[in-house]
Amino acid sequence: MTDGQGFLQRHYHLLRRLHSLAGVVPIGAFMIIHLTTNSSVVWGALNGRAHIAESAAGRGIETFQHEVHFINNLPLLLLTEIGVLWLPIAFHAILGVAFALTGSNNVSRYGYQGNKRYALQRLTGYIGFLFIVYHVATLRWGWSFLTPAGTTWSHYYAASTLAAALKGAAGQWSVAGVIVSIGYFIGVSALVFHFANGLWTAAITWGLTISQAAQRRWGYVCSCVGAVLMLAGWSALAGFLFVADYDEAVQIEERMVEQMYGHEYLLELKEKFADRPEIGRSAVRQAATRPYPGPAPLIEE
Amino acid sequence: MTSTNQRVIIVGGGLAGLAAAIRVAEAGLPVDLFSMVPVKRSHSVCAQGGINACNEVARQQGYSEYQHFDETIYGGDFLADQGPVLEMANWAPKIIDLLDRMGVPFNRTAEGRRDLRLFGGSLFKRTHFSGATTGQQLLYALDEQVRRFEAEGKVSKYEFWEFLRPILVGQGDQRRCVGIVAQDMRTMQIRPFRADAVVMATGGCGLIFGKSTNSVICTGGAASRCYQAGAWYGNAEMIQVHPTAIPGADKCRLMSESARGEGGRVWVPRKKGDTRRPKDIPENERWYFLEERYPAYGNLVPRDIATREIFDVCVNEGMGIDGQNMVYLDLTHKDPDYLTEKLGGIMEIYEKFVGVDPRYEPMKIFPSVHYSMGGLWTTFTPGAYQPAEPAGKHEPGMIPPVGTEVGQGMAYGAPNNMMTNIAGLYAFGEVNFAYHGATRLGANALLSCIFDGLFNGVSVVNYVREGVPSTQPAESLEAACFDEASSAEQAKYDGLLATVGTNERDEKFNPYVIAREMGEEMTAASTVVKTGPRLEQCLAKLAELRERYARVQLSDSAGWTNQSLSFARAVGDMLILAEVIAKAGLLREESRGSHKRLDFPDRDDERFGKASVAEFDPATGEHRIFWRDVQTNLVKPRPRTYGKVESDQKGKQEPVGSAG
Amino acid sequence: MGNGANSGGRTRNVVFRIKRCDGPGKPSRWEAFRVPVEPNANVISCLNWIAAHPVTMDGRPTTPVVWDSNCLEEVCGACTMVINGRVRQSCSCLIDEYAPNDGDTITLEPMSKFPVVRDLWVDRQRLFEGLKKVKAWAPIDGTYSLGDGPRESPAQQHVRYALSTCMSCGCCLEACPQYLKEEDASKWDTAFVGAAIISQARLFNEHPTGAILKDDRLDALLGVGGINDCGNAQNCVRVCPKDIPLTESIAAIGRAATIHGFKRFFRGA
Ligand SMILES: Cc1cc2nc3c(=O)[nH]c(=O)nc-3n(C[C@H](O)[C@H](O)[C@H](O)COP(=O)(O)OP(=O)(O)OC[C@H]3O[C@@H](n4cnc5c(N)ncnc54)[C@H](O)[C@@H]3O)c2cc1C
Ligand code: SF4
Ligand code: SF4
Ligand code: FES
Repeated sequence: MTDGQGFLQRHYHLLRRLHSLAGVVPIGAFMIIHLTTNSSVVWGALNGRAHIAESAAGRGIETFQHEVHFINNLPLLLLTEIGVLWLPIAFHAILGVAFALTGSNNVSRYGYQGNKRYALQRLTGYIGFLFIVYHVATLRWGWSFLTPAGTTWSHYYAASTLAAALKGAAGQWSVAGVIVSIGYFIGVSALVFHFANGLWTAAITWGLTISQAAQRRWGYVCSCVGAVLMLAGWSALAGFLFVADYDEAVQIEERMVEQMYGHEYLLELKEKFADRPEIGRSAVRQAATRPYPGPAPLIEE
Repeated sequence: MTSTNQRVIIVGGGLAGLAAAIRVAEAGLPVDLFSMVPVKRSHSVCAQGGINACNEVARQQGYSEYQHFDETIYGGDFLADQGPVLEMANWAPKIIDLLDRMGVPFNRTAEGRRDLRLFGGSLFKRTHFSGATTGQQLLYALDEQVRRFEAEGKVSKYEFWEFLRPILVGQGDQRRCVGIVAQDMRTMQIRPFRADAVVMATGGCGLIFGKSTNSVICTGGAASRCYQAGAWYGNAEMIQVHPTAIPGADKCRLMSESARGEGGRVWVPRKKGDTRRPKDIPENERWYFLEERYPAYGNLVPRDIATREIFDVCVNEGMGIDGQNMVYLDLTHKDPDYLTEKLGGIMEIYEKFVGVDPRYEPMKIFPSVHYSMGGLWTTFTPGAYQPAEPAGKHEPGMIPPVGTEVGQGMAYGAPNNMMTNIAGLYAFGEVNFAYHGATRLGANALLSCIFDGLFNGVSVVNYVREGVPSTQPAESLEAACFDEASSAEQAKYDGLLATVGTNERDEKFNPYVIAREMGEEMTAASTVVKTGPRLEQCLAKLAELRERYARVQLSDSAGWTNQSLSFARAVGDMLILAEVIAKAGLLREESRGSHKRLDFPDRDDERFGKASVAEFDPATGEHRIFWRDVQTNLVKPRPRTYGKVESDQKGKQEPVGSAG
Repeated sequence: MGNGANSGGRTRNVVFRIKRCDGPGKPSRWEAFRVPVEPNANVISCLNWIAAHPVTMDGRPTTPVVWDSNCLEEVCGACTMVINGRVRQSCSCLIDEYAPNDGDTITLEPMSKFPVVRDLWVDRQRLFEGLKKVKAWAPIDGTYSLGDGPRESPAQQHVRYALSTCMSCGCCLEACPQYLKEEDASKWDTAFVGAAIISQARLFNEHPTGAILKDDRLDALLGVGGINDCGNAQNCVRVCPKDIPLTESIAAIGRAATIHGFKRFFRGA
């Protein structure tokens, strides 16, 4: 027996349980926060404290951008990110794949609901992982060649970048954008399912729910959690795709930067991101580069 | 000096075989356990109703171990040797305790004690049960203990191995059993195994009757092979037909006596050919014939009686449901939840196999062959209790004439207990002819199986440690006798294989066809009611079948997992045993217990208060049947009537002898 | 006895498609048989008929089909096979239910998770080895008279009785996506034990005497191939013919494993 196998065998239970735990905390917990943040682009419309934007949609963008700034100003962000996200996700994914390979689906013969969920859990694991890699690579590591519009991530322009990254261009749809958007839809849905179902099975694994009745009840709870998160995910997506106006977003973002860091900083930033391709291709590029004209003029009859 | 390499072979992993394995292994002798199926799947798994033993509650109502003994002897119509039965009844409570310790999930009372139910042949609740799958639960408990010994290396299992013959050495007094020949049912390898003692625990022979309540392996083949090797076969004619079973295409599925023990009532419509649905027939238009004829025991008369009454109602009076051979077994007046709790196992069987829920609709049942009281003849050393006068009927509340100390009925550890007429060859469980006489009481079989294993397992150990094997262990014997026996079986096997392709697949020589005809004939001639002429006709038919069997033809020449060969080989052995059953039935010119001769309706203690013993003549293939006295010095034989009243006018018939 | 109901005679035919294999390492093939159906017929009675008349539908003589069975009333577990794509006992499989019309087809295959011995007969020894692995027994002090066993409430008896009806048939293993065929006996120790074994471990943990070995059982189940290999597909509980609450057993052992794991972690094994 090689050492690796020996290690696995000796600590099998620990590894299995850590795998289960990692899925819930921190990964699951992070996902809840992340989706809450992102969906703020929609529910932010109700945010009374947003004061920069005028329209409801704008308030959403502002709320979202606010959250993003908050997160990005956390101390030791990179370290936390690595420790709380990258490592657990890598661990969960690698072990997950290893474990998934020990099974063989038989849904075609035994089409029970539970069995379908079992199969889906594995499938969504694979999909979700690929999606996370893409998501992070494009929006965090700046592998802009993977995005249809070559977006470069900047958290100062979070909302507008996202909208562009999804649609494939600033402001309007492109074919590639549709594909990416569908990809996001599937990816987010898969991850939410994976989490909700994982939450349900974790309760069995850890022995929290024993009786069939308890498992069923917990199943309802997990379904609700899943439904809420699914809504959050979808609404965020819809928010960026259909509600958030690219130009309005950029304007709000820039005003927020100005407010927080001063005009100097904004100019520096604009300089740095002047060549953002999607901005270059924007139909209202001109308007965007002009200083903020202040509130829109009232249109008189 | 005992050899360190002494071993015991146990053939059969039902309750009897497993109990024996545990006892022998516990005593430190290595055990080789043979079974045609994984022992956990042995036929004992089918037993439903329960296991009898005196208990505190019954005791305080006037019951006793002694009364259990008396009931068993009376139920068996005074054909059983009495000492072993007394010992068994005395041991019964200890057996329940032991099973309880092993973790058998017996049903419980509110206070957490073992619950009890009524069973046939007794007016006291003395049957312990685990739902309606008691046999399964007991078998599993013993199986688990054997697995524990197996894990410790004290028991070696040979599952999917078929016993082919015992290996004997010596002549006359010196003759003893020193091993067996067996065949791996997968690889078809045939080889000898040495042992200082061999315990046969191979169960019953229901398949001789075609469809019965028995399992597929209950061919009686193993017993027949011992018989052909020289072991005696006792009381072959005593075959129990169970009153309540569901007829099926492959077997008859038992509806346990516990259904009646829990309140089930047997009835038919009073009006012949009444086509109304059972629920639409009002109470006063139902004929509860058992309750009417046997006010004291009602539906819980012993099996032979219930069977004959049902048979009588259907066949003679034509009163069966829709004119068919069926009567109702009705539990619908009971609370459905109560039924699920107490009888879940059989409720499920009925539902699964008939598609009707017996909680709401009366079951339709008919008698079926169930159990063989007869089996390999065995002996024993009588115990300490030897009254000057045999006792009369024991009434509840009377002080028993004897205590429950070990050894009152049968001497504990005597090497010859339950040994056949061949030294070193024992028979335990259903294959043993002891204990049940002419009829077995419900829930006594499980008891006798486990009792055999536990009580007489010690005898096996003592025989091996102190008897001939202690000076001449099997391992020291020449290989020749083992190889010879093995080659003989190999030749038989090769011979059967060589029949493939002969006779152009003529139906007449098809082993399955021969077996079916044997089953039909035996069921028709040698079960509920018998007559001399019919039995003679049956013997003639069996002779014809044996002739045809001599030219039997197989359709599979494979040298690997040849199941049909194994079956065909067993058919030959079954035919021989069938002859013994029919012939002993013909010669027993009386009616006793399950054996009902219409031409000899009364019990005849003078001529037949004896066990029939059959001996095989290998030279001619004939059976010699002789009669041996039965030990009856503990209880005096008395008429067995179960208080029958003749409700109808023809009742001038005296209630003597076996109930009609 | 009991032939009264069978006087109706044979009325219709059913076609059996059977996946056959002559032995380990031999190729599989399909053979079809046309079988007349008796009243109350089940798969076993049809297989019996084929054994007596081993001729395929196209008139070619063949060998009798080999299968495993014993009790014929669904309590021994022997006759498990895959019928019309689903695992179940063949003795309780009624033809009237599966093939109500003349000419209907029933497909029989051996279980796929166990090595085939021949035709429909598979080798389920791994299941019994699993029972050894988790020490599925109560370690009593021997068979001599030592009084009765521990008292037990009816509620507790219900729990144990339900678990104790497991007949080691293997349905739950056949349907489990985590339970894979393993021909090599030396690997059984680290291959998934399956729901039946986990449930048996629980059965004995629930018994006061059995519980003495609880730690041993959990140690065995914490390793590779133990409780953690379950993927919670819950097929097992759906196919179990005895309606054993297998998923409850899995959760209960999961809980015990959680506690045991922590204890072991902090105390050191
Ligand atoms: C449906 C049914 C219900 C019953 N209910 C009750 C009840 O409620 N109470 C009660 O007391 N009794 C009951 N009985 C009777 C009782 O179950 C049996 O008498 C008893 O189980 C027999 O056990 P055994 O150990 O003698 O043999 P079995 O359990 O029959 O086992 C025989 C063993 O021998 C092996 N074997 C056979 N032939 C060979 C061979 N050639 N080579 C190798 N091995 C061989 C088999 O593999 C098997 O392991 C019932 C019987 C039936 C049929
Ligand atoms: S719940 Fe576990 S044991 Fe049951 S089928 Fe699913 S993976 Fe297999
Ligand atoms: S748990 Fe159920 S399906 Fe699994 S082996 Fe036991 S009885 Fe069969
Ligand atoms: S033969 Fe026993 S379960 Fe089918």
